[in-house]
Amino acid sequence: MTDDYYPWGGEFTACSPQGCVAVVLLNIQYNPPKNVAIYGSLKTENIGIEKIIANTISNPFIRFLIICGDEIKGHCSGSSLVALHRNGIDRNNRIINAPGAIPYIENLKEEAIKRFQAQINVIDLIGKKEKEKINDIIADCTRKSPPSFGEPYIAIRLKPAATINLTDNRALHSRIIIDYLGKVKKRGT
Amino acid sequence: MFSFTKEQKVFNISGISIGGQPGMYPTVLFGGLFFKGEPDFDDGKRHLLTIFECSKQTGVPVIPDFFIRKVEYIQPILSFIEKAIPKKHPFSIDIIEPSIKIQTLEQLARRKLLPRTIYNSIHIGITKEETEALRTYTPETAIIVAFNPKDKSPDGKIEVLENGAHLLEIGLLEITRQIGIEKVLIDTAALAPGENSGAAIAAIPVIKEEYGLPTGCAIHNVVEKSRWLNDFPFAKKTVDVASNNAIPLFGGDYSIFGPIQNAELVVPLVAWQDILVSEYTENYFGISPITSHPRRKLLK
Repeated sequence: MTDDYYPWGGEFTACSPQGCVAVVLLNIQYNPPKNVAIYGSLKTENIGIEKIIANTISNPFIRFLIICGDEIKGHCSGSSLVALHRNGIDRNNRIINAPGAIPYIENLKEEAIKRFQAQINVIDLIGKKEKEKINDIIADCTRKSPPSFGEPYIAIRLKPAATINLTDNRALHSRIIIDYLGKVKKRGT
Repeated sequence: MFSFTKEQKVFNISGISIGGQPGMYPTVLFGGLFFKGEPDFDDGKRHLLTIFECSKQTGVPVIPDFFIRKVEYIQPILSFIEKAIPKKHPFSIDIIEPSIKIQTLEQLARRKLLPRTIYNSIHIGITKEETEALRTYTPETAIIVAFNPKDKSPDGKIEVLENGAHLLEIGLLEITRQIGIEKVLIDTAALAPGENSGAAIAAIPVIKEEYGLPTGCAIHNVVEKSRWLNDFPFAKKTVDVASNNAIPLFGGDYSIFGPIQNAELVVPLVAWQDILVSEYTENYFGISPITSHPRRKLLK
């Protein structure tokens, strides 16, 4: 089930496949109720955010993304995720007005970001750690029971089985040559 | 085990030599302090004594890496550095937030600590303000993290070093050169499993042959992010420690091995690996180790 709905592995727990809420945990020790679709931690303001986008738009039942807990120092990953939803990315793939140190979205198409913005309502609870309050907001979202967004959007698909696609059968890397005794030399010199 | 055709630079960082052909200088180990919570200086002092003792016994050089999470920790941590580590011994400061980096640089200058400082790190998130601060308060050495969010392969890592990979106007090596930092260590940016984690190791010989600069990484980060290992807590510790072996085996010069608490395990392990590398590189490539190398120290 996890693989079907969430193509990009990571530190998350998949719960109710048709739940409409996903929960992003910053600095907080908290297990959301099991009727949410998915929850997990967010550390980095680049790859971490990309994973969240890929793993929410792949499940069209998810319509709310709740971000809770204290912000990640330096990375400002939670605020960068809010900024992405609000502003998108610039021509250098930098999240517009993101406060994080390296807030770049490099592995997803702009279409995936637009889908994320359209499918998901972000609920910014950054700085909030009271579990009862977060539970209440999850319950509010669940009660709204919005319809599915339609078809899943698969932003990234990992290869499902072992394959061999040798494009370079030389040792280690195309830039260097390593002889049979271990001498490294730059290729072409 | 390798030897490189490109001439390899060796930097003397406040008494510790780093870089060169594999087998000549021991792998330098960076052990981290104060990652979580309030800095516990008594605990930190105990661990520093342990790591320096391990270093003395084995010949593996060690450098404490101080994580500074909050502005209010800058002064107490710098005071701790002045008191708790030997005078003239190098140390690194590991800071994420640019504003804390800038304030720390000012304080390091005021305390005349910049010649012993390894700035951890310069990466594609460098801001104009940070660049200016580094020009004004220039540390002796900097670690450049070759993280390229678009291309995590060795080629992508070289791209950020070389031309900024369209994320910056110029490459990180040129930025560092313009700042005036002469001693540069390349960090190949170890990423989580699923993010081409193996590229951090494969990139070591590629980057060393390309630039001849001391190269390493924090490979333990990959272990930390291997969530499935949480089901095997005993093995997780072993894997965390053992991961450091891959760096000298692939010709690397240093490892940032994570919490200093692991020093008693990591330092002898890397000494063992350095001996293994040295035996081959001397026998085949004719590279003899320096007198303080673990092979000379531990094999009488």
